[in-house]
Amino acid sequence: MTISSPIAKIKKTVFKVVSLVSVSALLAGPVFADYPQRPISLIIPFGTGGPTDISARALARSLTDEVAKPIVIVNQTGGGGAVGSATVANTRGDGYKMLAARTGSQSVSLAMKSNMPYSLADFKFVGIYELNPIVCVTRSESGIESMSQLIDLVKSKPKTVTYSSSGVGALQHLAGVMVLNAFGVENPLEEAIHLPMNGGGGAATAVLNGTATFVCANSSSVAGFINNGQMKPLMVATKDRVEGIDAPTAAELGHPELEKLVGWTGIAGPKSLKNESVEAWTQWLKTTTSEPGFVDTMTRLGSQVVYMGPADAEEFIHAQYTAFRGIVEKLGMQIN
Amino acid sequence: MSFLDTLLEALSLVTQSGSILALAIGVVIGVICGAIPGMSATMAVALTLPFTFALEPVVGILLLLGVYKGGIFGGSIPAILIKTPGTPASSATILDGHPMAENGQAGKALGMALYASCTADIISNLALILFAGWLASFAMGFGPPEFFTLMVFSLMIIAGISGDQLMKGLVAAVLGLLLATVGLDLVYGTDRFIMGNVNLMGGLNFIVVLIGLFALPEIIAFAIHPSDKHGNVRQLGGEHVTFGEYKRCFRTICRGGVIGAILGSIPGIGAAPSAFLSYSEARRKSPNKANFGKGEIEGVAASEAGNNGVCGSTLIPLLALGIPGDVVTAIIIGAFMVHGIQPGPLLFQDHGSLVYALFMGLILSSVFLLFFGSFSIRIFKYIADVPKSILLPAVLILCVFGSYAINNSLFDVMVMFALGWLGYFLMRLEIPAAPFLIAFILGPLLEDNFRQSMLMSNGNFEILFRGWITWGFWILTAVTLFCLIKSHFATKKTDSQSPPKPEAGNNLKGEALS
Repeated sequence: MTISSPIAKIKKTVFKVVSLVSVSALLAGPVFADYPQRPISLIIPFGTGGPTDISARALARSLTDEVAKPIVIVNQTGGGGAVGSATVANTRGDGYKMLAARTGSQSVSLAMKSNMPYSLADFKFVGIYELNPIVCVTRSESGIESMSQLIDLVKSKPKTVTYSSSGVGALQHLAGVMVLNAFGVENPLEEAIHLPMNGGGGAATAVLNGTATFVCANSSSVAGFINNGQMKPLMVATKDRVEGIDAPTAAELGHPELEKLVGWTGIAGPKSLKNESVEAWTQWLKTTTSEPGFVDTMTRLGSQVVYMGPADAEEFIHAQYTAFRGIVEKLGMQIN
Repeated sequence: MSFLDTLLEALSLVTQSGSILALAIGVVIGVICGAIPGMSATMAVALTLPFTFALEPVVGILLLLGVYKGGIFGGSIPAILIKTPGTPASSATILDGHPMAENGQAGKALGMALYASCTADIISNLALILFAGWLASFAMGFGPPEFFTLMVFSLMIIAGISGDQLMKGLVAAVLGLLLATVGLDLVYGTDRFIMGNVNLMGGLNFIVVLIGLFALPEIIAFAIHPSDKHGNVRQLGGEHVTFGEYKRCFRTICRGGVIGAILGSIPGIGAAPSAFLSYSEARRKSPNKANFGKGEIEGVAASEAGNNGVCGSTLIPLLALGIPGDVVTAIIIGAFMVHGIQPGPLLFQDHGSLVYALFMGLILSSVFLLFFGSFSIRIFKYIADVPKSILLPAVLILCVFGSYAINNSLFDVMVMFALGWLGYFLMRLEIPAAPFLIAFILGPLLEDNFRQSMLMSNGNFEILFRGWITWGFWILTAVTLFCLIKSHFATKKTDSQSPPKPEAGNNLKGEALS
């Protein structure tokens, strides 16, 4: 290689320019932040109009004041959230493709299915901003008033009690099994019937029209039915009682371990996600989750706005995954 | 507060300038979004939702309803003009709407689509206002076994649409059923036929299949044999619907509206099956049976009445029970909840004036639809005058854009092209594509509900005969089957007596081939 070759000269110049630009960027500080320099795609692995979609869109809308570049919502549906999640797991770590991560796709499915195209280690979580408590409900006319009555029914008439869910590998599915098992049903897979209904709306409808006996679902999806007296809440899987839902907590019934059952929405990038992106998102989530307008909207939709930073979120999700994995292995629920 | 006071309050809510403006804007947005292939009515509603958070409840919800109604009608525009349905609901409209456009009657087809949509809309709204309670309790009787029998009955549509070529229709239907099995198994959660491809985990997207199957074969055929019959079309593109034609189709439209209103009230069915059912019923009853699929105006009327008939009555389970029947109503529930209003049995008590304001707004929306719809037709119908050599490349771009936009995935674009070639070969073999599509829609519903029923009963088949609804559908199925067989033998007889006539029932034979 000769030093005088024109290409080398160009290379040299380019290097000079680049280093000059980056140095000046460093000096200029946050005003010329490196991230984001172009619009960020936020991938929602579920369809338009679903709970994840509505929540992530509300977040993106409230972030418009914070983020210099637009956040573009992209719905990539399919496989219970697997398709969209896999896209982000395999993307570059520059932070321009982020994922609206959700309980179903990022913890339950991973715990239950061996054929997932990604693992928990493929993601770097930048935070969790929303929690959905789980409530177990039955139809008001079912005659079931408490968890103990439900359990008695399962034990006295095996293979008649049904619980619905939005599909195999959804939180409602695992929640039904976990609750039954915690309350002493040795083998819930054999003694009760799981009815996958293709969507959260269908799962609640199945309980309302008597197709299924009970469902353990996100409070937001059933709170209205409880208020209207169409459904009877049996238990909330939270530490404290939930306002507007007249039911004992899991701990009051002697099963605090069920508090692991909680739906959440967070933001994740691929595991190679750069620190500057993590920091930027941490800051954005922190600001948004304390913004009254956003909190108000989310609360009305039945969610609890929380803020968990990268470390907390990571710990929370791993703990939940481990608990779920435990019950899956214990009962042999693994899907191949 | 007396009932009259409630009504007056509702009237004042709906007549405020904001409500009327929201409704008008909603319908316009809906028609435009519906007319863009790949932008379904659902997506349009979802994208409008965030804007309603800041509005008053009545204004916001009317905006969403306007978008929804406009979108369902708007989908028929590209279905008729470029054989690419803008929304899945308008896939049945292609069958006769596009041949009409090919015959130079684009204006007529669009006009009939609009009048049928508006009429069915009114029927559906009336069903909502008058029979909400009754239809809601009927809908609540629908568990998996009832659904299964309804789907068995609906599969008879395939026979209704394939007409004289039942064998070819069945071949197409089996292909559709096969493709529909790709994806996640509902009950076991295992993958089926995904061949290790993550993109197939969700199965094939309905709209992508639709675009590939209907729009692409036309383009491929044209690319192989370019022929521009352009002058012919231009002279006739401006034709209007006469009152006589509307009157002739009126019964069909009413039937479609009623079918739509009933199916719409049952959660989880949607507008596309309703449009197909209405279409096949119209064909069965019509004196012009042979002309269906070749540009029969009654076919357009039937399918558009069937899909718009769903719009009003999907609100029945929403308002009466708080149950979202489809994705659109799930989004509308969000709009209610943001304002702290919970749809359900107590809604009429707690927010009576809001409910009645919505009813009034719905009726008003039909009027707006008529107004803005006819305006949009005046603009869009000139597309029919564009020469094919310019139009089809543009359509191809729209197809690619549309299939990409649904899931933001290039894989879907490839699926569309693959399905396009499949559709082309089906066209060459004169196998109708419509039964393929119907099987693709109904197949998974049939399978899922059957397996759910079996789960419920621990494998006992008796559950498929529980209650009067299941029996009702079994009887309907038997009667339809009987009529089909009878008419099949009747046509065979007349065929053997009369000299051989040109083959009928080539629903989707493209112009370029003829």
